[in-house]
Amino acid sequence: MEAEFASQVSARLGDRIVVIDAFPGTLGRVRFKADFALDVFRSMRDDLAFAHLSMIGGIDWVDHREVFYVLWSDVRRAYVILSTDLPAEQAHIESATPVWPGANWHERETWEMVDVVFDHHPDLRHLLLPDGYAFHPLLRSFKLHEPEELEVKTRNV
Amino acid sequence: MSAPEVAAKPPTGELPVVTRPGVPFIEIETLRAKEFIPAAKEALSAMIAERGKDDLTRPVFNWAGRNSLFPLHWGLACCAIEFAAAFGARWDAERFGVVPRSSPRQCDLMIVNGTVTWKVAHKLITLYEQMPEPKWVIAMGNCATGGGPFRTAYSVVPGVDKLVPVDLYIAGCPPRPEAMLDGILKLEELIRDRKE
Repeated sequence: MEAEFASQVSARLGDRIVVIDAFPGTLGRVRFKADFALDVFRSMRDDLAFAHLSMIGGIDWVDHREVFYVLWSDVRRAYVILSTDLPAEQAHIESATPVWPGANWHERETWEMVDVVFDHHPDLRHLLLPDGYAFHPLLRSFKLHEPEELEVKTRNV
Repeated sequence: MSAPEVAAKPPTGELPVVTRPGVPFIEIETLRAKEFIPAAKEALSAMIAERGKDDLTRPVFNWAGRNSLFPLHWGLACCAIEFAAAFGARWDAERFGVVPRSSPRQCDLMIVNGTVTWKVAHKLITLYEQMPEPKWVIAMGNCATGGGPFRTAYSVVPGVDKLVPVDLYIAGCPPRPEAMLDGILKLEELIRDRKE
């Protein structure tokens, strides 16, 4: 089943993906090129029947950042993971909101936590942290503060 | 407290009349007499001039306030479970007149039970400012008191006293309902002695 899925992905996306790894519990992890993000998203939804975006996350690997998308297909009854590498400096990738509207909040969270900018996002602002928050807490360069160092506007309702 | 000059007569007749020490016995004819009300007014004016109006009414308001504390729900974490348990059948906090209300306009006590984040901080301040005076704040549990184990976290307010004035802190993680009741009784003592 995984091999069949890999051949389908390779046939549709061809040079837009780097490699397809095995990943436990899923059909595989598709590592794609970040420049073709929107093409990959549309193809996964329309051609390969992954209609549901389960989650988006980001990882700070110090020398680069990784963004991953967990997709679920009701037709295949299976998960698949999309993953791509971004440069550590000014990481940005096309937003998945036009393809899966549910990506909106996930991308806001990923942006505020690991500082990956999603281009053409309709409303890229803080989700879990207060407005005006100056840090990206899940970066490895983030150090725990003494509480007094965090100056936050508390009255900008 | 000096009462108006009224002759205290011993009761006569068949029925026994209950009297209390220190309380002058006044017959109904005396109360109906035209001289009584001006005399009582004069005595009251003298008391007000001597001790001040607030000094006479303050104990009454304090008594009413401390026996009908209406806390605002501010349940953010596990302390809220203990808070809810304190109003259950086993501890029954309502016997102290503590009835949780859902609107800040009806409350005079804010019990912050849980971890306050910076994201929710201005909402807490808004609700506090919507409560009518006089009002009190109890920080329940370690998180509300000083941030608890999340003190150095990136999103947690290190103590709700950074946002609103706190009258009483209850230690514990989470505090037992007995501790919460003890805190409420301690707050009632504070309100009883209030002089402002």
